[in-house]
Amino acid sequence: MARPLGAVRLRKANSVTLTVGVALVLFILFFLMSSSTPDFSPARKAAAALHPLSPPTSPFRKSAAGTKLKPPPVTRYNLNNVTTTSRPLENRENILILTPMARFNQAYWDNLLRLSYPHELITLGFILPRTKEGNLATRELQTRIAKTQTQSPERDRFKSIIILREDLDPSLYPLATQDEHERHKLANQKARRSAMAKARNSLLFSTLGPSTSWVLWLDADVVETPPTLIQDLAQHDKPIITPNCFQRYYNSKTKTMDERPYDFNNWIDSDTARELASKMGPEEVLFEGYAEMATLRTLMAYLAKEDGEEGRDLHEEVPLDGVGGAALMVKADVHRDGAMFPAFPFYHLIETEGFARMAKRLGWEAVGLPNYKVYHYNE
Amino acid sequence: MSPHGYMPRNPAASYRRRSQSLMRLAAVAAIILLILLYSFTRGRSSSSSSAVSIFSLGLLGASPHHDFQLETVRYYDLSNVQGTARGWEREERILMCVPLRDAEIHLPMFFSHLRNLTYPHRLLDVAFLVSDSKDDTSGFVTRAMEEIQNDPDERMHFGEVSIIEKDFGQTVNQDFVSRHGFAAQAGRRKLMARARNWLLSAALRPYHSWVYWRDVDVETAPFTILEDLMRHNKDIIVPNVWRPLPDWLGGEQPYDLNSWQESETALALAETLDEDAVIVEGYAEYATYRPHLAYLRDPSGDPDVEMELDGVGGVSILAKAKVFRYGVHFPAFSFERHAETEGFGKMARRMNLSVVGLPHYTIWHLYEPSVDDIKHMEQMKREQLAQEQAEKERAEKARKLKENFGDTTSQWERDKANLQNIAAQAKQDAAAAAGAAERDAQGVEKVMADSGGKKEAKT
Repeated sequence: MARPLGAVRLRKANSVTLTVGVALVLFILFFLMSSSTPDFSPARKAAAALHPLSPPTSPFRKSAAGTKLKPPPVTRYNLNNVTTTSRPLENRENILILTPMARFNQAYWDNLLRLSYPHELITLGFILPRTKEGNLATRELQTRIAKTQTQSPERDRFKSIIILREDLDPSLYPLATQDEHERHKLANQKARRSAMAKARNSLLFSTLGPSTSWVLWLDADVVETPPTLIQDLAQHDKPIITPNCFQRYYNSKTKTMDERPYDFNNWIDSDTARELASKMGPEEVLFEGYAEMATLRTLMAYLAKEDGEEGRDLHEEVPLDGVGGAALMVKADVHRDGAMFPAFPFYHLIETEGFARMAKRLGWEAVGLPNYKVYHYNE
Repeated sequence: MSPHGYMPRNPAASYRRRSQSLMRLAAVAAIILLILLYSFTRGRSSSSSSAVSIFSLGLLGASPHHDFQLETVRYYDLSNVQGTARGWEREERILMCVPLRDAEIHLPMFFSHLRNLTYPHRLLDVAFLVSDSKDDTSGFVTRAMEEIQNDPDERMHFGEVSIIEKDFGQTVNQDFVSRHGFAAQAGRRKLMARARNWLLSAALRPYHSWVYWRDVDVETAPFTILEDLMRHNKDIIVPNVWRPLPDWLGGEQPYDLNSWQESETALALAETLDEDAVIVEGYAEYATYRPHLAYLRDPSGDPDVEMELDGVGGVSILAKAKVFRYGVHFPAFSFERHAETEGFGKMARRMNLSVVGLPHYTIWHLYEPSVDDIKHMEQMKREQLAQEQAEKERAEKARKLKENFGDTTSQWERDKANLQNIAAQAKQDAAAAAGAAERDAQGVEKVMADSGGKKEAKT
C-alpha cells in the first residue's frame, strides 16, 4: 500500500509524525475489528444456520469476505420433535419474545436483560412503525442491542434478534402519535386495535420459524416482571396463559406508592356482553373498559387478592374468554394452527381479545393468573 | 492530529517545513484512504455476491482472520417486500409452499415442473411439509432438492429449501373417493388447513414478497405461471384448474370447484347452518348456485380476463406475503361456514383484500380415475365386450342365414332343373324316337350345365 512513496517520505520523517501515522493506522485497524461481533462459543457456532437465508430465530454464519456464497443447503426440520412442556429449561425449548414497539423504554430493556431463562434459547422480535418516533425508537433499540450482542458476556447475549419495520401507512396508524388519553378513546379503538393486530401478525408470522416452542408477547411498556417469568408461566403447561398487568403510581391520598389494575382485556364473558354482541352489526366491535358499553364481564384485573389476604395463591388460575397482550405466553402450536390476532371484528372482538376467541374455535383454552403480577409503565 | 510543535522562523525554512509536513500528512492520508477503500470494496463485493445486503445493520464487518463469525441481528423493512407486478425485476423473493402426503408417485413430475419454472430460481425459497406419509416422500424430496442445489448449472439453484415433517394423525385415506366423499370433507379440509398453516408459519420469512401454493399433482402448467399471475398485481390470484379425461368421459372436465363467487342462496344457506358446519362446493347436499370459475372457461378466451372471487381452490395460489402477515390464513375451524382455502378467500375478503381468478388461464390437474370411474370403466369394458360378442353372434347368425338361404336357392334351382328335366323327359318320352341310353346322357348333361351356370351368376 503506497509503499514506494511512503517509504521515501517516511525515511526523512521525524519520529513524531511516524508515531502518529502508525498510531492512526493501528487505531483504524482496531476500529474495523471491534465493529464486528466478538466470537461465540463453539456450541453456539455449531448450532447456527449455514446461510443468511434461514429461519430468523437462528443466528447465521457470516460469509468470509470475497468468498462466493454457495446455494443454501437443503434443511430438514422435524416439528414432531419440537416440544412445549412445563419444563422448558430441561428440554431446552426455544422462546420467541415478541414486542410491538412505538417508543423505546429503557426500563423495559433492563427488565428483559434480567430474565433468568438462558438467553441462548431466547430470540427477540420487534416491530416498529415507520414514523419519526419509530425511527428514534429503532435507533435507541439498535444501540442497546449492539451493546448487548457485542460487548456483553456471552451468557447475556440473546440467540438472535429480529427488528422489523411496519409496512402500514403511518397516517392510518394512530398508535405512535397519540397520547395515552387520546389512544384510549372509544372512537379510536377499532382503527388502533386493527392496526395493532396487523403489526402483531406481521411480527409473528415473519419470525415464528420451525424451532420455536413458546411465544411470549411482551408489551414495550411492561417494565417489571419477575426474572423467572418464562419458567413460571410455562410451568402451568397451558396453551395460552397471561399474568395480571398492574401499574405502579403515586397515591396522592395516602402519600405513598401504590398499584392499580391496568389491563382490562383479560376477562370472563358475561350474558350481558353476549346479549350486546348479538344485537350488533357484523362490523361492530365490543370493547372492554368503556362506560358507553357496560358489558358486566368479570375482569381478571379485579380478581387479584391483596398481599397477605387469606388464600392468596400466586399460581391460582382462572379460565379466560378474552386476553390482553401486555404479557401473554402462547404455545407455538396455537399460532401454528392459525390462531392469530384478527384485524377485523371476529365475533365482535378484535386483536388480542379476538385471538382468544379464535384459539377457542381451534380448541385451545386461555387461562389467567390473577395474583401473578407484571407492571406497566406509568406515563 | 498533526504535531503543532513548529513555528515559522524565516519564510524559506517555514515554506520548506510546511511542504515537508504537508507531504507527511498526504502520506498518512493516502494510507488511511487506501485502508478505507480496501474495506469498502471488500464490503461491497461480499454484499453484491450474496444476499447479505438485505441484512445490513452496519454490523457487517466480516473479519478474514476467523473461520467464520455469527450474525445474530437481522433488520428488515416490511415496506420493501410489498410485492409488485414485475417482481422478477425488483428481486422480489417468493416462498413456494408445497404440502405433501404420500405423494411419492407424483414427485418426479413435480420436480420437472420445478426445474422448468422461469422465475429466477435464486429468488424462490421452497418449503415442503410432509405429513403422515407411509411412503418415502421426504427422502425423495430431499434427494431431488439436493440434486438441484448441486446442479452444475447455477441458474438451477433455489434459495432456502426447507423440508418440514409434522404428523397430524390424519385418518382420512388419500385415494380419490375417501378424499372427495361428502361426509369426509369437513374433517379433511380442517386437517389440510392445519397442515397449510404449519407450513406457512414455519417457512415465511421477513424478506418474502410473495407466497405461491402449489399442489404436486398438477400435470400441465405454463413455465411462466409465476410471472403470468404476478403481472396482475392482486393480493390473491388463482388460475382455472381443469383435468383431462378419457374420451368416453368427454375429454376434459372442470377440476377445482372451490374457486367461486358468493351467491345469495349460499349466504342464506350459511345462515341456517350450525356454527361448526362447513359448506363444501360441488356436492348435491349443498346446492349453492354459485358462479364457479371453472365453468366460465372459454378455451379461446383472453387469458388475462379477471373474475372476482370469494372462495379459492388450493391447487395453485399466488398471494402477496403481506396477506399472510396481516393474519389471513387457512381456517382450520368453520370461518363463516367455510374452511381451508375457501375460508382463506373469505377471510381475505373480510380484510378488504383483492381475490381474483383467471377463467381462461388454465392449468391441468392430473387425472386419477375414481373408484366410480374405475367401476364405470369396467362396466364399459363389459358392455363393450358384450357388444362385441353380440355383434359377432349377429354376424354369425346372418352368415348362417345366408348360407341357409343360399342352400335353399340352389336346392330350389336343382329342383327346378329336375322339374325341367322331368318335363323335358316327358316331352322326349312323348316324342319316343331314338335309343333310350343316349337320350338319358344328354338330359343329365344339360341339368349340370344349367345348375353350374346359375351358381356362377349367384356368386
